[in-house]
Amino acid sequence: MISITNASCVFRHASGREVRALDRISSTIGDGEFVCLLGRSGHGKSTLLRSLAGLNTLTAGEIAVDGRPVKGPGIDRGMVFQEDTVFPWMTVQANVEFGLLAQGIPAAERQGVAREWLDKVGLGRFGDSWPKELSGGMRKRVAIATAFAGGAPILLMDEPFGPLDYVTRRDLQNLLIDLWRSTGRTIIFVTHDIEEALVLAERALVLRAGRIVDDIRVDLTRPRDEEERASPRGIAISKTILGHLELEQHTPGAA
Amino acid sequence: MGAIRRLGAGLRRDWISAMVVIALIVGWEIAGHMAPRSPLRESPIVPPWEFIFGRALTGLSDYWKIEMWAPVPQLGGAQTLLGAVLALVFHSALTLFRLTVGLVLGGLAGVLLGLALSWSSRVRKLVAPSLHLARMCPLLAMIPLFQFWFGATNWAAIVFVAYGVGVIYLIGTVNAVANVPARYIENARVLGASRLRIHRSIILPAILPELFSSVFLTLGLAWSAVIGAEYIGVESGIGRMVIWSEYFSNTGRMALITLVILAYAMASFALCRKLQERVLAWTPKRPGA
Ligand SMILES: Nc1ncnc2c1ncn2[C@@H]1O[C@H](COP(=O)(O)OP(=O)(O)OP(=O)(O)O)[C@@H](O)[C@H]1O
Ligand SMILES: [Mg+2]
Repeated sequence: MISITNASCVFRHASGREVRALDRISSTIGDGEFVCLLGRSGHGKSTLLRSLAGLNTLTAGEIAVDGRPVKGPGIDRGMVFQEDTVFPWMTVQANVEFGLLAQGIPAAERQGVAREWLDKVGLGRFGDSWPKELSGGMRKRVAIATAFAGGAPILLMDEPFGPLDYVTRRDLQNLLIDLWRSTGRTIIFVTHDIEEALVLAERALVLRAGRIVDDIRVDLTRPRDEEERASPRGIAISKTILGHLELEQHTPGAA
Repeated sequence: MGAIRRLGAGLRRDWISAMVVIALIVGWEIAGHMAPRSPLRESPIVPPWEFIFGRALTGLSDYWKIEMWAPVPQLGGAQTLLGAVLALVFHSALTLFRLTVGLVLGGLAGVLLGLALSWSSRVRKLVAPSLHLARMCPLLAMIPLFQFWFGATNWAAIVFVAYGVGVIYLIGTVNAVANVPARYIENARVLGASRLRIHRSIILPAILPELFSSVFLTLGLAWSAVIGAEYIGVESGIGRMVIWSEYFSNTGRMALITLVILAYAMASFALCRKLQERVLAWTPKRPGA
């Protein structure tokens, strides 16, 4: 379980101005949940996610995983970034193995696990390819396989499908849902796309100016196809989120 | 078949440069015959090609000093083609040895030191100014100092080459490390990689493409350095052959040795380009590359 208590993060820009990216956020996220973090650009989504990953230090408050405070990155938390982070100098197989290598797992076991995850993301035949030989969508699959193969029970994803075209994004969303359901991992997924949140999330946290302004249960039945999203409950959720995103009165320090 | 076609295409693309080379060769020959006659038979002002590959080539046997396989002209033996070839091979081997060992040692030391410096940004900031000072030091002016320290030996030449290229690699490495995209390092950290692992598996391969520009830069520099070291002090090697030729103004021999060095330099560049292709197979093709 992840517990966030009064988490605040203040950035001091070179201009001397202070930006309160996170403002006393508190929440808990249970094991196996699929949570979407929604919010407008510059309202603290990435900052919260990076703090969860241990890549960003809070200026106040605390984040704890299973009671242990987060002090830095750890193998209990994996991450899929928005940018292309697949290492271009390693083959696809070596990329997926990297987390296991870093954990000191023996070669034979590493290879087996990596191959298994490459199969699961549909890249079973591309293990020996260089990343440059794959499409952007395929490289995203490699990143997903790498994150899952590392074995972390918590996976953090920062707009991972942002730069992809609509169809590829839908494919990857379905893949992610399948992987989530078959593994039971906790997924925290940043997006600014309401439709994506409706397809994926069990729960939507809406951030505004560094605060959690709403915590919505997305209790739609799966699969979350067009019809399901257009159901009265689906439309109600969309409207609520849209209301938080659109009717913007206050802008935070930077946005 | 494909290779031949590619060669043909290459030739057509390069025909202008081929013409330039041919024009240079022909122009040299004409100049050789038009230049005023030198009073010394062994020192034509512009040695024509038949002189370079005739008398001058055979004359190189003067520099064969081991009483084996071919007569030693210094001891009254005859000048022979075999002696010339032996002399060339012997001194070339020495020079190539110094060059290669110096390059490898300097490269390794420079890159490792650069990585070590990049370990801590505080150390880097501390050392950066002196690094730039080291780079500005005129290399050839330091040869006598190196020979004072190490004597006129193989080691002097090797250490000198290693120093010259090492400084370039050190600076190249520090700069390249600073340019590694943060996202790769963050991804590796999240995957649980230790600092050592990040340096070995992420930073080192990530800086390779940039390091290869240092490779080509240092290759030219290493050739100048090793020839310079032999020219000024070390008593053997192909650079020293130039000096010996100069004693008696053997212009043909000087030209011939310069050509040989040119050939080696071009071969070493080609070799490094092959190495680059092999090592950087993973990099996306750059347009025009
Ligand atoms: N490293 C940093 N240094 C200074 N300020 C930062 C830094 N990272 C984020 N900020 C500031 O924190 C605020 C929140 O940024 P954050 O990246 O979390 O937004 P976001 O919700 O992820 O936006 P987007 O949807 O555009 O990715 C912004 O005002 C930004 O200027
Ligand atoms: Mg963001």
